[in-house]
Amino acid sequence: MALTESPSYGAISRRRKDGGRALIAAASVLFLAVGLLQALNSAGILPLGLKDWRPTLYAYLLWAVALGVGMVMARGEAGLKALFILPAALFTVAMAIFPTLFGLSIAFTDWNLASLTGQKFNGFDNLVQLVRDPFYWNAMRNMVIYVLFVLVEYAVAFGLALLLNAEIRARKFWRVVFLIPLMLSPVAVSWMVGKSMLEYRFGPVARFARWLGFNNPSFFTDPWVARLWIEAMDAWVSIPFVMILLLAGLQAMPKEVIEAAKVDGASPWQRFWQVIFPLMLPVSITAIVLRIIFKLKLADIIITVTSGGPGGATDSVSSFIYREYRDRSNVGYGTMLAMFYLVLIVIFITLLLKFLRRHMQRMT
Amino acid sequence: MKLELYNRIAAIQASRRSFMKGAAALAAGTALSSTFAGRAFAQDSVRAQILQIPGVGKGSPTDADWQKVGELCLAATKANVAEGEFAGVELTFMGLNNQNLHNFLFRGFLKPWEAYTGAKINWIDLAQADYNPRLQQSIATGTVDFDIVEMGAPFEGDTAGKGLLDEMPDWVATQIEADDLVNYLKAPVGTWDGKTYRINIDGDCHTFAYRKDYFGDGSISGMADVPTHWEDFPALATALTGKNDPITGTPAYGFIDPLKYQWGGFGFYFLEDRAAAYAKHPDDPAWLFDPDTMKPRVNNPAWVQAIQDVLDLVKANAYPPDQLNADPNATAFSQFLGGTGAALTWWGDVGSNARTSDTSVVGDVVGFSINPGAKKVYNSKTSAWEEKENFAPNMAYIGWGVYVTSRVSGDEKKRKAAWSAAAHLGGKDISLWTAAYPSGFQPYRNSHFQYDEWVAAGYDRAFVEDYLGSNLDSYNHPNAAIEPRIPGIFQYYSIAEDELVKGINGQYAGAQETADAIAAAWEKITDQIGRDNQIKLYKASLGM
Repeated sequence: MALTESPSYGAISRRRKDGGRALIAAASVLFLAVGLLQALNSAGILPLGLKDWRPTLYAYLLWAVALGVGMVMARGEAGLKALFILPAALFTVAMAIFPTLFGLSIAFTDWNLASLTGQKFNGFDNLVQLVRDPFYWNAMRNMVIYVLFVLVEYAVAFGLALLLNAEIRARKFWRVVFLIPLMLSPVAVSWMVGKSMLEYRFGPVARFARWLGFNNPSFFTDPWVARLWIEAMDAWVSIPFVMILLLAGLQAMPKEVIEAAKVDGASPWQRFWQVIFPLMLPVSITAIVLRIIFKLKLADIIITVTSGGPGGATDSVSSFIYREYRDRSNVGYGTMLAMFYLVLIVIFITLLLKFLRRHMQRMT
Repeated sequence: MKLELYNRIAAIQASRRSFMKGAAALAAGTALSSTFAGRAFAQDSVRAQILQIPGVGKGSPTDADWQKVGELCLAATKANVAEGEFAGVELTFMGLNNQNLHNFLFRGFLKPWEAYTGAKINWIDLAQADYNPRLQQSIATGTVDFDIVEMGAPFEGDTAGKGLLDEMPDWVATQIEADDLVNYLKAPVGTWDGKTYRINIDGDCHTFAYRKDYFGDGSISGMADVPTHWEDFPALATALTGKNDPITGTPAYGFIDPLKYQWGGFGFYFLEDRAAAYAKHPDDPAWLFDPDTMKPRVNNPAWVQAIQDVLDLVKANAYPPDQLNADPNATAFSQFLGGTGAALTWWGDVGSNARTSDTSVVGDVVGFSINPGAKKVYNSKTSAWEEKENFAPNMAYIGWGVYVTSRVSGDEKKRKAAWSAAAHLGGKDISLWTAAYPSGFQPYRNSHFQYDEWVAAGYDRAFVEDYLGSNLDSYNHPNAAIEPRIPGIFQYYSIAEDELVKGINGQYAGAQETADAIAAAWEKITDQIGRDNQIKLYKASLGM
């Protein structure tokens, strides 16, 4: 009753409509004016003594509130409905879209935090430097190798998922046990495994290797061996994630299909390869794509264990950016590296999904 | 003193006391009389009193202890500030919270100061890893929100060089008895363009630790003494080839460099240890850059020689097999203390840990000295080698200090309050306590090396002389290699680490090409930060 009596749901007077529009317009003008003044102040053209960008932030918040109120005033129920989505949209603009655009603007500047002159627009210089930077491309090559290893991780995870889906003793216990690595911090794993168990002198793995007859069980000296151990540690942390997705898929699979295959006389391998695997493809693709996205961000283990060494052999793009950005405060170039990588990831994932969709369509 | 070090000493002294319980009456009587003498001496001064808080071997100090020490050391403040003079003043202090030390101590020390002066301090605690980015971002974005800051001298270029610090008033220098500082911490360290900004609370340098049992008659090296020049270390490595360590029975190695240099810039100090002997000419304060042009010297023959020395040892398989992935920490605490390697360079604490750490097996056989020298030194002014012996201990990082920011410069009352608080923390007496107990700081004043005070407090003389002696010799060395306190200095170090590692892993043709790559990267950073200004600041940091 209260709702139907509310004027918001009746006809909206012209005066109220105009009032709402005027409110939005006034707030917009104020927001733009504050932003412009702030920009002029920041550029040193109009010194207003503003020390930070808080006035613009406050103007944005004010504009956001005015926009909500103005929408309700001007559009009534439609405006009220818009209020359900407006805060989320404005939040996304403030926390995702604006920072990305801001980041993009930084990527085209020469900005070293130690520089007295601050940011300087330098056009495509950072991009040119990136293209000519052999160590960025070295990190990129490593990423290709790390990403290819996702297929191995997937195969192991599938095997474990099948095992945990089978009627084995203490199944619940094993499920929890296999999930434990996922709950561990990669940094903790780096220390426990990379820095302790694989330590050349006292590490138990090194001692065991010596006992087996290896003279110099050094795990991070040879480039390929180092890469493999980094991959092994990352896989150990992440395989449970893929496994749990696949296990969920296996449990959701209709039992009748398997039973029918059994009745038709399919061998276990045929049941897996011709029934389970194809049925699991949608889940598998989701798991692999998610895992690739996580893999593309690989950094913590590398930073902790090898710092990208020996000689860049284990460097990932993220660990490379970390050194450029954090150790060297090279914000402009570091941001360009990150932005370029983001674009590559978006293109790669888009193409991958398109390819997989076509492939799936052919199969079905 | 570093926390870990203190705990070890305390443990060792406790077991020593247990041993003494069973000693003969004469020994007990002697010990008793010396203890009484020590206590009588202790009551004579504030210094002796604070060294008994809480007492060596009586557990780690607590906040109550820090407050007691702060209270006992207030006399200097009272001489310059009237009671309640800073009522209503609020200050913000930014510092570290490593190992629950640093700011935690400062809070306790300053509580009695707050009660006496009426000022209030707000605290910004930062983990070490967050410290540098926070400071750099505050500076770069113009959002310095602290009045007092605990800061390493290498950042003076980033702060003092940009006018962000307040000049130290004369009365502060008098209050903290600045003349007592060891030589290398005196000007130009802590100063810019002749103005002083820093109150020292710490000292840092690299010293040389070596295995005494590797040398002398019947030793595995067959050498009479440990080499004292870098040129002689390849011979040591050769002499040890095929030999086993007398303690662990594992293969013996010579000097161990941390070949995974990448350590956020800190790893570059270890190449500097070698290079300083060749590159730091006694007549020239500059050794990393040409002060007139900022042209890097890192690819001059002296630095190339230092890199070549390392490459030669790598080529000769003179390092342990995992050395390419051994960072400085692993090299010192896993390898050297664990019995791998005849010698290394490190800050003051590895030597003492060698004697006191549970995991150390080299405690009884470790010796110390200043860093090795070279038999020749490169003169950058004449671009020629000079065949003469040269030593140049590396004052790596210089240590922590307390600074007041220019936020308070316009308010004389607030300014005096900030400097008074900082001076309280950097006072002569309070510094003796921080040198002797867990604080995160090392000795840095000449008065810290009065061994009798340490002995009276309950420390073992042989230990403190061992621990402190090599530091003192380095600090006061006439040709100490001081680090340039220019903006972005750790950027230079960090990129140098990357290039160095590439060179060691064979991605450059040799030492010269590696050095050239570092120089090229440094040139780029200099241009990015601003060459003219870097030249100005570099000269200022060298006192030129």
